[in-house]
Amino acid sequence: MKEIKVKFILNGSPIEVLSSPNRTLLDVLREDLGLTGAKDACGGEGECGACTVISNGKPINSCLVFIGQVEGAQVLTIEGITPKDGYHPLQKAFVEAGAVQCGYCIPGAVLVAKALLDTNPHPGDREIKEGLSGNLCRCTGYQKMVDAVHLVIDGGLDD
Amino acid sequence: MQDFEFYRPGNLLELKEYLSLPGARVLAGGTDIIPKMRQGKFTAPILVDTSGVKSLDFIEDQGERIVLGAMTTHQQLAESRLIQETNPALREAAASIGCIQTRCRGTLGGNIANGSPAGDTLPPLLIYDAEVLLQSLEGERSLSLEKMILGPGQTALEPGELIHSISYQPLKGKWGSCFLKVGKRSGMAISVVNAAGAVVLDSSGQIADVRLALGAVGPVVIRCLETEKSLLGKRPDQGIFQQASEMVQHEINPIQDVRSTTSYRAHAGGVIAARVLGIAAERAARRKD
Repeated sequence: MKEIKVKFILNGSPIEVLSSPNRTLLDVLREDLGLTGAKDACGGEGECGACTVISNGKPINSCLVFIGQVEGAQVLTIEGITPKDGYHPLQKAFVEAGAVQCGYCIPGAVLVAKALLDTNPHPGDREIKEGLSGNLCRCTGYQKMVDAVHLVIDGGLDD
Repeated sequence: MQDFEFYRPGNLLELKEYLSLPGARVLAGGTDIIPKMRQGKFTAPILVDTSGVKSLDFIEDQGERIVLGAMTTHQQLAESRLIQETNPALREAAASIGCIQTRCRGTLGGNIANGSPAGDTLPPLLIYDAEVLLQSLEGERSLSLEKMILGPGQTALEPGELIHSISYQPLKGKWGSCFLKVGKRSGMAISVVNAAGAVVLDSSGQIADVRLALGAVGPVVIRCLETEKSLLGKRPDQGIFQQASEMVQHEINPIQDVRSTTSYRAHAGGVIAARVLGIAAERAARRKD
């Protein structure tokens, strides 16, 4: 199959990838670029949110986007929000609130929370829950994730 | 994943040119098509991605009509003040779709082109007698939404044609509209049954105009014209909406499938029909003009 060339901004840096068009952004992130933070937990149905990335400021499921559709977009993955030494406040908060057990769903949940806080710095409980409703967790459940987001909003994080 | 050729035109004319290639299909948000392609339920030798065509992404008040570009996302509808002010049922429907990730990708044009009997944006558009503008290299034509959707997954779209925009006329006077749905869970669930209703009250508080549409209770979204007629001229109260609830069950024709049974859908359809009408009437009564 004819490959296509796709240019976009990945975690702040311009990038050009060559791929057959029937691969998703998730495939390219994981298999070509070694960015394995985004995960597939539902088999590419868009049901689980584990593959969430932020594209042009909006959370999207990277399993539901063909690579060619990313042309020109600003894509942010969990690797892109993690400082070289240390963690993003949301990452710290998820740990502190005990929201992480197996960890598989966490990168997606953190990115959804980041996209929410970027547009609405003081969401209420309901908005946080609605925001996270597309992210499935099978370990700790959801209350601790909600608590984690509150920790960041209220500035209750230990340094 | 099946093979296909991929094109991403940068403007509307290029989009029409690529779409005129034999076998070419539109790829809008992709939230329905991509899972269907994985399951082998959708195939196309050529996909034409519309995300580079910015002129299809707009929400505009054009005086008589509100016009929505086909690439408007569900999230944009959910956040739009103009939609809230002119068709709150549509805003509620868009906000209820999937989750934030799918609302940020899924488009209004895609929801219509899918022709799903359970498409959530369809009932609120149907009660506003929405028109769909179709374009191709040959020209353009306008169709009522009712004529656009022919059956489950079937639309009036001809090869080479695309949905350019959807438009509706705002209601006037003391009006209200509302959307509700029943699903298995609140996030991500496809509607078991959904409904949109609108009520316009005259100066004496009687129903001067009423519209009701239900989805997922037949091969296409249904306007309940008999039920609407029975409510005209009446004073809105629980009693008449209860009667409407029973009438609705005779107007709809639900199927049994993986999501629900015929009898549950009929019953739930009646219940949410009465609720959307009740809420629409309350909203109408509260309106000051």
